[in-house]
Amino acid sequence: MIGNTKKWIGTAGAISILAGQFLVTPAVFAAGSDAIEQGKKIAYDRKKGNCLACHNIIGAPSPGNIAPALVAMKSRYPTKADLRMQIWDATIKNPESPMPPFGKHGILSEADLDKVVAYVWTL
Amino acid sequence: MHKKLALLFSLLAGILCAGITTTSLADEASAAKVQKLIDAADAARKEAASVGGEWRDTGKMIKKAKALLSKGDYVAAAKLANDAAKQGHLGYEQAMSQKTLKMPSYLHYE
Amino acid sequence: MCRRHTHDSNTFEDGKNMKQLFRRLALVVISCSFITTVQATTPEEDLAVFQNFFKKRFPNVETEDYINGTYAIDPIGRENWEAIEEFPPYEPFIDEGQTMWETPFANGKTYKDCFPDGPALAGKYPRWDKEKGMVMTLPLALNNCRKANGEKPLKYKKGSINSLLSYLSYQSRGQITNVEIPSDDPRALQAYEDGKRFYYSRRGQLNFSCSHCHLQNAGMVLRTEILSPALGHTTHFPVYRSKWGTVGTLHRRFTGCNKQVRAKPFKAHSEEYRNLEYFLTYMSNGLPLNGPGARK
Repeated sequence: MIGNTKKWIGTAGAISILAGQFLVTPAVFAAGSDAIEQGKKIAYDRKKGNCLACHNIIGAPSPGNIAPALVAMKSRYPTKADLRMQIWDATIKNPESPMPPFGKHGILSEADLDKVVAYVWTL
Repeated sequence: MHKKLALLFSLLAGILCAGITTTSLADEASAAKVQKLIDAADAARKEAASVGGEWRDTGKMIKKAKALLSKGDYVAAAKLANDAAKQGHLGYEQAMSQKTLKMPSYLHYE
Repeated sequence: MCRRHTHDSNTFEDGKNMKQLFRRLALVVISCSFITTVQATTPEEDLAVFQNFFKKRFPNVETEDYINGTYAIDPIGRENWEAIEEFPPYEPFIDEGQTMWETPFANGKTYKDCFPDGPALAGKYPRWDKEKGMVMTLPLALNNCRKANGEKPLKYKKGSINSLLSYLSYQSRGQITNVEIPSDDPRALQAYEDGKRFYYSRRGQLNFSCSHCHLQNAGMVLRTEILSPALGHTTHFPVYRSKWGTVGTLHRRFTGCNKQVRAKPFKAHSEEYRNLEYFLTYMSNGLPLNGPGARK
């Protein structure tokens, strides 16, 4: 009896792990100014987005010049999904791109990636 | 009665998100499941290493997952093991994709 | 394809249409040689293309100046570096290395018994060792000497090997990089090709190859640092790095680079890194040695 109960709880837990992973993504994708602010932090963080290593962002401290400045993003990427795809894996569009595939290689979590997209989309 | 209660409880737990149910996972069955995930992660890491494609942190993540497992933190251990396994697969895939040399286009051979 | 052509030409009758036959054969020869050049490039071609890339990228930089790394293309950094070089931070290591070179092993022999030509050895390495069937590097050769004389091998990344290498490199200054890939052993060319593939391969979570930073983006600014050109990378090792606060080996630097792209580094003087050194040093053929160096 007790063993049975434990088994049930174990299964439920496993399901909830899965459910949790699927649920997080869309929830954050729709977020507003909070997500943008958090996205900026992740973008600037050297251990996370570290966008400034290669990209200039107007007003940001000591940016690199390896890649194009992050300006006029909305005119360069017709939709947010296009921008997200570029950050997820830039080698899809350009196989020689040195940009790390932040999504594909799990450098950022999908949730963090959404926040970065939300922020970069405002630039 | 007990059965009904258990069912209700587990259903409730299922609806809630991963982080909250941490404590409800505590038993040997879960430990064995997490151990399996860790073993799978280590196999993936070794497969990547066999083609020179292991990533820097994969081994550390597996080590950490083991420590979390022994502390009974199954959810965190499982997540880390899964992430490590994903790294192993990606590292292998990456190394295989680079097996044939593609010279960059900016180097101009006549 | 080439074989089929030859076969076709055999169908010509003897003595008849000789001219046509020769023309046909000539065509076969031309097309076959064309096919081989498309399939693979020779090390000589690689070298020319590699060095030309930098000539085009930085038309005002003399080829020889690449031995100074990023300071060849960064005038501000160069000023600071020249000031540092006035009191070289690697100097004590050279002195220590000389003592190591001259101090006999427990069996009474010295390094000189292994290397009778003296300490100016750096220009002879890396080289293909036909007998062992592998790329021989200077640190490996030094440790082989130690082992042959009953001494413990030195560690390859940190520690006293750097003093010994500093002395040997200092004694070798001015020698010209001249890595040879002997044509009488196909394994040598294979080792070179493996090193080349390593150089251009993406690795690690960040998915960078060596070439992404030091070829494609050489001279660009990564945050606050100028990416150093690949040409000349091997001439000045071992190197005193301010970041390390000491002198370190080329393979320690390889390790650091691989870690930065979040790849698990290989062991120093593993086959991967030996072949990488073989390729990378070959790419600097013609440049003078100027080790030990000083870098940020």
